[in-house]
Amino acid sequence: MIRIENLSKHYGRLAAVDALDVEIPAGEIFGFLGPNGAGKTTTIKVMMGILRATAGRVLLGGFDVEREPEKAKAITGYVPDRPFIYEKLTGAEFLQFVGALHRVERPALARRIDEMLETFELSGWRDELVESYSHGMKQRLVLSAALLHEPGILVVDEPMVGIDPRGARKLKDLFLALAKNGVAVFLSTHSVGVAEEVCDRVGIIHKGKLIACGTMAELRSLAKIEEGNLESAFLELTSE
Amino acid sequence: MLFLTLLSPTVLSWKNELFRKSHWLRRLFLLALAAGFWLGAYWTVRRVLVYFQSVHGLGPALAFQLLLIILLTFLSMLLFSNLITALSAFFLAQDLALLRSAPTASGDFFAARLTATTINSSWMVLFFTLPILAAYQSVFRGGAFFYLWVALVLPLFLVIPAAAGVLVTHLLVYLLPARRIRDVLFFIGLIAFVILYVLFRVSRPEQLMNPESFGFFLQYLSAMDTPSAPYLPSSWAAEIFGAALFQRPADVWFFFPLLASYALFLVWVGGSVSALVHLAAWSKAQESRQGRRKDRLLDAVLGAALSPFPPAARAVAVKDVKSFLRDTTQWSQLFLLAALIVVYIYNFKVLPLDRSPIPAATLRAMAVYTTTIPTQAYRSSGRPEAGFVLSAVAVRFAFPAVSLEGKAFWILRSAPVALRSIVLGKFWLNLVPLLFLGCLLVFFSNKLLRVPDWMMLLSLATVILMTFGITAIGVGLGAMYPKFDYDHAAQIPTSFGGITAMIVSVAFVALSVMIEAWPVYLLASRSLRPDGAEPSLWVLAPSLALVAALTAAAVVIFVRLGLKSLESMRD
Repeated sequence: MIRIENLSKHYGRLAAVDALDVEIPAGEIFGFLGPNGAGKTTTIKVMMGILRATAGRVLLGGFDVEREPEKAKAITGYVPDRPFIYEKLTGAEFLQFVGALHRVERPALARRIDEMLETFELSGWRDELVESYSHGMKQRLVLSAALLHEPGILVVDEPMVGIDPRGARKLKDLFLALAKNGVAVFLSTHSVGVAEEVCDRVGIIHKGKLIACGTMAELRSLAKIEEGNLESAFLELTSE
Repeated sequence: MLFLTLLSPTVLSWKNELFRKSHWLRRLFLLALAAGFWLGAYWTVRRVLVYFQSVHGLGPALAFQLLLIILLTFLSMLLFSNLITALSAFFLAQDLALLRSAPTASGDFFAARLTATTINSSWMVLFFTLPILAAYQSVFRGGAFFYLWVALVLPLFLVIPAAAGVLVTHLLVYLLPARRIRDVLFFIGLIAFVILYVLFRVSRPEQLMNPESFGFFLQYLSAMDTPSAPYLPSSWAAEIFGAALFQRPADVWFFFPLLASYALFLVWVGGSVSALVHLAAWSKAQESRQGRRKDRLLDAVLGAALSPFPPAARAVAVKDVKSFLRDTTQWSQLFLLAALIVVYIYNFKVLPLDRSPIPAATLRAMAVYTTTIPTQAYRSSGRPEAGFVLSAVAVRFAFPAVSLEGKAFWILRSAPVALRSIVLGKFWLNLVPLLFLGCLLVFFSNKLLRVPDWMMLLSLATVILMTFGITAIGVGLGAMYPKFDYDHAAQIPTSFGGITAMIVSVAFVALSVMIEAWPVYLLASRSLRPDGAEPSLWVLAPSLALVAALTAAAVVIFVRLGLKSLESMRD
């Protein structure tokens, strides 16, 4: 469902992402793990066509993000790390706006908006301006928007920042449910616990390079540790 | 000293901005522009003062009255800008949590913020005050003492509105939440500005230049040798400058201590009030605003009006219109626009065309095509001026169109919508109201001027063409120089890109007018010909076609440049 081929992104001489290769099939939750500044957000921005790659390509559902951006984006939901949204729209209006961008038909859109607001416990806030929302509520609203058009791919950047434990649990359950329904979830995080709990496979990015990729067992073997959790493997693999 | 430590982030940020970023060409351009404005202000004021001086016995009195008006205008501008700046500096700045959670004394915090507020809100007024005072010095020769008084008086003159603004802001925020106050301040400030602006125009200051009115003006001056508002700091400053420049019998040793003690008193009161209420007020300021919104009528109107557009373009337009109407800092600018239109139409009403020795119809037609001549401020222009008004409005509304997406621009970038349709959507959304405004201005100004039919048609055709070009320049340059990180929407047009858009737009209007000037001259001057030979209206066709071609080129070039620039942001 997601194919990243030899992807590089350079800022001048700095290689933020360097020759990245990953393939994620439908129904898999892929954890993209790395320390701060490793290149996770840059990779995601290139995946979503917000940044242009220096080399390589990204295919979403078989569509090249550079060559067929509209088709690639139409089947993808995106949740950025910082949920800046239009402060002067209400929650419901924001969802209507995003639904229209994704060309969701009107009767279906109204139904989906109700469903999403209900799922993310925002029904009581649907007619409030976004500027009065808390950080967590904005995060939930952005998630609602990303799932509104029932995407086949979900790209999420640091989803747990600013979310309370109950919200985090619900979010993890949501990702698992989506994967069960065949959605490919690309989950960037610096939280080892989150990756360990929900991801089928984990890729570890460090200084722009994918230094390890595989299941928990494969990563342990790569890190040459017999016992222990993903955290031990992560620390071992990203040590200088 | 903690006060200096607290100021250091601001100073270091300026230093880093100045020396680390290498936009030298842009800086050179801005520097040249600033020098141009500076020299322009100096030259204009100097010319007026030389003219005043030539009026025997009245020169110093007239110049003093002008100085009073200028300083009063600056004081009111400073008061307003300080209210807004103080609100940001004391209650909305992002570093407040860091500073107020550190062991900072209230006095140091207040002094540092007051200094930053004074500089931020006053530098532009200071920039324009200096050439004006230099012009006064060059005409009335106040000597070295005048410069000494300038150095002593100006800092006090700037601190007074800053301290007053800070004081009022503290009290307001203590009583109301800050975000709401900012909206209210913008609203009140703009209405006050509009009223002042309209009053200024309706009072027809150009009559001061009219010798016919000197009869009553002399009586007026003899009755008013003193300032009309003696209790304002602007009058005290004017008295001190007047004593040095015109040897007026004013007691500077009364006015200067008055000014200094007033400034110190306000700073002291502001500091004391801040120490008492700042933490409580800031705490209130952090409470978010709430309010349910459901605009069924607006939804219905927008739904009907935008039905011909594709869904994505419609969604962006609905979002833009709603955000505009709900953001007071944006829609309140419409008041400014209303004032501009009133003044514009009023200008035509007061044109003394009927007193002219040239046949009225000819003069009316010519007036539509002449640019304003500085020495005859009342001889205004028609269509070119409408073009300039449109340029100003386009910079206010069309230029920020892309920037207003702000930090939420990722939503459109990650949506399955081509950038081209987003930019074109913004172009059409801005074009329609600008077309309406342009036609309105031209129609009413031509009606007031009672121009011939051919001129009415030509003006309307040209303004419609021009609006396409002006809108494309606004939206295109807005996409080339977007300012996504802004404090409030009114800041966007004052950026480098906004100034560039204004210059390009005015140049475009001027070029269009020049293209049509000759055939219009031929047609308008036909009644002056002794043989009465009338050239055919077809002489207009080539120039109208040329203006159409110029407009098409402007639309294609600027929309493409904007798109290309937005695309390159991904690199």
